[in-house]
Amino acid sequence: MTGSTTSQLTKLFDNSLLNQIERMRLRPNRRLTNRARGEHLSGKGGSSTDFADFRDYVAGDDLRYVDWNIFARLRRPYIKQFQHEEEMHVVLLVDASTSMMFEDKLLRAKQLAAAFGIMGLQNVERVSAYAIHSRQDLPWKLPPGSGRTRIRKLLTFLESVEGGGSIPIEKAIETMLRFHRGRGVAIIISDFLTFGDVSRPMNLLYSSGLEVWGLQVLAESEINPNVQGDLRFVDSETQETLDITNASELLNVYHDQRLWLQQALHSMCRSRQGRFMSVSSGMTLPTILFEHLCRQGWILR
Amino acid sequence: MRWPGFVNLFGAWFLLALIPLIILYFLKLKRPRMEVPSLALWQSVVNDQRVNSPFQKFRRNLLLLLQIILLCLVVLALMQPFLRADAEVAVYKPLLIDCSASMSSLDESTGKSRLDLVKERVREQINNLTGDQRIAIFSFANTGRRLTEFTNDRRVLLKALESIQPLDLPGQLDDVLRMAAAYTRTFPIETIQILTDGNLPEQVDFELPFKVEVQRVDGGGPNIGITEMSARRSGPEDWEVFVRVSASSIDLRGAELQLWEGDKPTDSHQIEVSNEESERLVYPVHSTHSQLIEARLVPAGFDSMAVDNNVWLTLPAARPLKVWVAPKLASWRHAVRVLPNLELEESEGDEPTGTEYDLIIADEGGFGSAEAPVRVLVGVVPSDLQDLITVEEDVTYVVDWNRTAPMLRHVQLSDVQIGEQPKLAAGAATKELEERGYEVLIDGNAGPLMLQRREGLTVSYWFTFHTDRSTLPYRVAFPILAANAIESALKQASLADVAAAPTGVLPPIAVDGSRTYTIRTPNGESLTAESTTEGTLEGIPASRVGRYDVMDGGNLVTSIGTGLLSGTETSLQAAGELRISELTVATDEARQLDADRPFWWLLALIAFGVLILEWWYFQRARGAMS
Repeated sequence: MTGSTTSQLTKLFDNSLLNQIERMRLRPNRRLTNRARGEHLSGKGGSSTDFADFRDYVAGDDLRYVDWNIFARLRRPYIKQFQHEEEMHVVLLVDASTSMMFEDKLLRAKQLAAAFGIMGLQNVERVSAYAIHSRQDLPWKLPPGSGRTRIRKLLTFLESVEGGGSIPIEKAIETMLRFHRGRGVAIIISDFLTFGDVSRPMNLLYSSGLEVWGLQVLAESEINPNVQGDLRFVDSETQETLDITNASELLNVYHDQRLWLQQALHSMCRSRQGRFMSVSSGMTLPTILFEHLCRQGWILR
Repeated sequence: MRWPGFVNLFGAWFLLALIPLIILYFLKLKRPRMEVPSLALWQSVVNDQRVNSPFQKFRRNLLLLLQIILLCLVVLALMQPFLRADAEVAVYKPLLIDCSASMSSLDESTGKSRLDLVKERVREQINNLTGDQRIAIFSFANTGRRLTEFTNDRRVLLKALESIQPLDLPGQLDDVLRMAAAYTRTFPIETIQILTDGNLPEQVDFELPFKVEVQRVDGGGPNIGITEMSARRSGPEDWEVFVRVSASSIDLRGAELQLWEGDKPTDSHQIEVSNEESERLVYPVHSTHSQLIEARLVPAGFDSMAVDNNVWLTLPAARPLKVWVAPKLASWRHAVRVLPNLELEESEGDEPTGTEYDLIIADEGGFGSAEAPVRVLVGVVPSDLQDLITVEEDVTYVVDWNRTAPMLRHVQLSDVQIGEQPKLAAGAATKELEERGYEVLIDGNAGPLMLQRREGLTVSYWFTFHTDRSTLPYRVAFPILAANAIESALKQASLADVAAAPTGVLPPIAVDGSRTYTIRTPNGESLTAESTTEGTLEGIPASRVGRYDVMDGGNLVTSIGTGLLSGTETSLQAAGELRISELTVATDEARQLDADRPFWWLLALIAFGVLILEWWYFQRARGAMS
């Protein structure tokens, strides 16, 4: 990527981009955190060094937190409150089904998952990762973990993900939720091209305390298909066929359907306090990160 | 609106091929396979299209649509559709084609004859024959001729059609209608078509067992021709030859009328005639022997029909009329003797000395074995009428007589008293006399007084009473009667008047009895005919204008010429209506020969176009994919 002679930490992107990513932080809409101590500020009072507010003293309060200066002036005890930093759970769900094996969809999905994971681990969040594929010989989940030392494991896991299979995204989410504990953000990186209903898994994610971030990765051939004449389309996952006559005349309808799907996914995520974005696999990772995700407020630099 | 008909309705079964066509289309449609990540979006697109525009499927399956159209067109062509003509579709249709002389009339601009025009239209009708139609072709001029049986074999029909040539004969419908009617017993004929120029007699005495459609063709230009030629003896060796020339157009037309004796022209006149006023010319001819003269018309300018420009006439050799009168019939001898140009045998014997006479006037004594074309028997009842007529001794008188009979022309018999009374037998009637071949010329108060009978070239007159026992010899009528007998004999011997023979059948020719003769026709053909025992050649067909030579081996016996001699044919006029029995049939030129018009070829052509379009579309689609 850069032509540098130094050894690269990962094959997904070069070290310079890694350095930039390490300085970024995720920006969830809600503060869905866990009790565990972390670096993510919770809405409740805590024991950090950052002052948050005052409140009246009540019996039983630790006298160490009484502000004696105010007591001296007002003759009434007030308790000082400090911000509480809790751990946020970042769940990465990478769709590695066969449909993601077109053009650079899967690579871009893995890169984005790695970037989101690194951002989480750099900020002492618990990060877990799940890959949706049918390969029995390959790991499909990375258990939750935190700390910078976890970065290598995450990268190794993601590098090892290879595409295949026809597991629909809604089934994969339900499976993932059986193993997941904790509140935070669920980042689903997929093409969301499924015959099933994704609203149910979205509800399940939301009720599990996860903010749903949907990131749709489509190939350029899916955004602007170049087709003409009579064709027999074959589904890469199910091998089912669909006969299309005079495909060029149907492109307008196709675009309408694609935009309608994106609009529907966007509404689903927004109604669950989440986010949605569709990107092309033809875009470079920095473009997606710095021009789209930063601008849309997904991440902070 | 006239719906098309179908010859082969069973062809509609082929429409069932649509089912396998559609099935095979969808089963075997070779579409390029293209792998896509997911069908989710495309399936939505297809569902959306199905819901929003169910008929778009056909538009999108344009190839299938073209194939269905192609199959439908081919099946329709197989069903052999045709547009019905005005004429009803008759399964058996006799075509009666006029080939009379007027059909040879040429059009000045196109050079086509009326028969050519008819042939073109019949040819079209034959080519458009549908499967279950049968045509029989008849040609007719003065008589009919069947050229084919009912058939749908185009080759046979076209060959028969091409064989039809115009004949030098006037047109007559009767015979050919009878021939066609004979076929109604065998075939269900509903309609016959007559193809003619309308130059036919307007009245046809025929009961129609079918409908008649007369299809008339026009065409032909101005025509001038000879319509009459005859000669009358004006002296012992002199003749006056009369020639009448008529024309078809209103405008005066000029021509030169020439008279030829043998190979050299002897006289000529310039004439101008129109259809309103014919020209009659007289040529004096001196002739000592039998000779064939020809009237030849040389029109100035275009002449539509050539066959009426030549007429031949045989002038007999000049000789006195040979007459024998029984010696006992003194009154007849006296009456005959004074008449000119005759040779009366004056012998006193009871029987004639010679064997051949032109006129024999005999009494009950008979005339032996002598022969004469005209015989007058006085006071004789024919032997085969002895049982019907008896002569009694009583006075009788003339009740009525046939004033138009040649023998009684200008004869007044009102006050003639007769001393004998020929009487019909009880219960007998004139009808029975007619059944035996006799015609009553004079009726008495009790029975026939004069009878006439024709046998071949011979005509016999019987006075059933003896003229000497009546006041007839003392009346003016008697010399007139004798003169009429001489006149009849002169005519019979062609010594007074001769007329040119029209085409059709040659007039009886006097030759040796029971011999075989060869007749050489104008177009070079030879006919063989045998003379009767009485010495006549009869019934020789003469369909061409020209000279007919009668040959006995290598020797020329006599020559006789014919001419068209039909004012109707020369006028080229078309009858507006034909009255066939009591039915009037319009002849309509504007209503041409409307044949059923098959248009399977048009459908096949469109099908071919659709095939080309489909091929182009298929190649275009393939090119787009590649």
